[in-house]
Amino acid sequence: MQKGVVLVVDDEAPIRDILSFYLKRAGYTVLLAENGRAALDEMAKLQPDLILSDLRMPEMAGDELCQAVKGDPRTRDTFFVLVSALDGTASKIGGLNLGADDMISKPFHAQEVMAKVESAFRIIGMQKEIKRQNLELTRFQERMTAELGLAARLQEGLLPPIPGQAGNIRYTHRYLPAEGIGGDIYAILNLPDDSVALMIADVSGHGVTAALISAMVKTCFENQVRFGHGPLAWAQAMNRDLARSTLAEQFATAFLARLDPASDTLQYVAAGHVAPMLISQGATGGKRVPTVLGERGFMLGIDENLQFQQQTCPFMKGDRLIVYTDGLVEVEREDRSFLGDEGLLEICSDLPADEEEAADRIVRQAVAFNESTPFSDDVTLVVLDRLG
Amino acid sequence: MLNIQTRQEGNASVVTIQGKVNFEVTAQLRDVIRDTVTTLQPKLLVINLESVSFIDSSGLGLLVAARNSVDKNNGKLHLCALPPQVKKTFDQTNLTNYFSIFTTEQDALRGA
Repeated sequence: MQKGVVLVVDDEAPIRDILSFYLKRAGYTVLLAENGRAALDEMAKLQPDLILSDLRMPEMAGDELCQAVKGDPRTRDTFFVLVSALDGTASKIGGLNLGADDMISKPFHAQEVMAKVESAFRIIGMQKEIKRQNLELTRFQERMTAELGLAARLQEGLLPPIPGQAGNIRYTHRYLPAEGIGGDIYAILNLPDDSVALMIADVSGHGVTAALISAMVKTCFENQVRFGHGPLAWAQAMNRDLARSTLAEQFATAFLARLDPASDTLQYVAAGHVAPMLISQGATGGKRVPTVLGERGFMLGIDENLQFQQQTCPFMKGDRLIVYTDGLVEVEREDRSFLGDEGLLEICSDLPADEEEAADRIVRQAVAFNESTPFSDDVTLVVLDRLG
Repeated sequence: MLNIQTRQEGNASVVTIQGKVNFEVTAQLRDVIRDTVTTLQPKLLVINLESVSFIDSSGLGLLVAARNSVDKNNGKLHLCALPPQVKKTFDQTNLTNYFSIFTTEQDALRGA
């Protein structure tokens, strides 16, 4: 087996010969040069793993060679041992400061040099292994980043296009995943009877697993809506599906609603989700008093036998509904306080008429409240206005 | 920072949690609960939340999974001493009705 390449640099031929003899006998490939200049010429032909260089030489001395080798990105990882007649700690430190990896003082025993060479090659071997693993990790990371980027675009594609309109509900959203992809999802569907089905969900956890489950939640919701019925039936079916198909700790909080213009009502199920805000005549903007649709309910996916409750409230022409996920209001500031739903209520009590401007203002004011602390969880905000 | 301590009280295991229970620390807490449930198989597992400042949905998920695994061993899980912020999260998710929740650790141990 090839043991590696050693370049011996010394202006004294007998020293080159003796080192060459021992190194070859130990199985190394040996290159020889009589000064620094000649050494660089040799290196242009074959790149050594280790350089054993004398310090004092004509044309180019060992310190200059060391600087040249260590200063060049292509050769700086070559293990460099300076051989110096200048004994004493000071000169050794000087050599190491030049960037040499080790020093040998002259006169030397060939055995001492060989022991240093063996130990140097152990280090070289480890460095190569680390470099190889590093490269592998870098490649793996690049691949994962690319895949996550693709997944993030796909996930954004699962959200309704905005600005959007379903029946006479006009809506927009702001979606800020914590890690490129996240566990937040929402969907809006126009039903045949001119009512609108709405679902927003926040799957526990972050990243790929949460994103996969969020896609499942959306599909499940859409399937249920096609069967007709209302939020209670959707919630129960989605809960059953999630409880059966996810692992022990994976759940989703959700808010499911049917906005029905014919009866001017909003039927909804709150499944452990942060309470949405209903702003009477909010679509025209200005100072209003939002109502919090705060109902208790289990998260989806805990246990398939859990029961949910459906509520009904008025939803008139000109009303605005604001639904969101808790990431928007649960950023802990340095003083340990949160915006909370109370803080959001205050922000929502004075909003512009335009949905886009309203959504921007909510996010901007939440960010301003959080001061320098960034969002740490996925954030989704949906603003819906009933036009007709 | 999350600080978790476990101790035995007769047939019961008591896990005391201090700090913020969120996504970053659930792995640590999961290991402790799993070890306690599998090695000691306690008839009663008490989790004291008195010093928990915040719990997010992954933390809630973990507690639900803990209840389910204790159930499988025919044991019981009692939670106790929920601070207001944590109580609010439990109320919102209706988990107040899913767990047996006690005001003090003594009550939780007595099961009263």
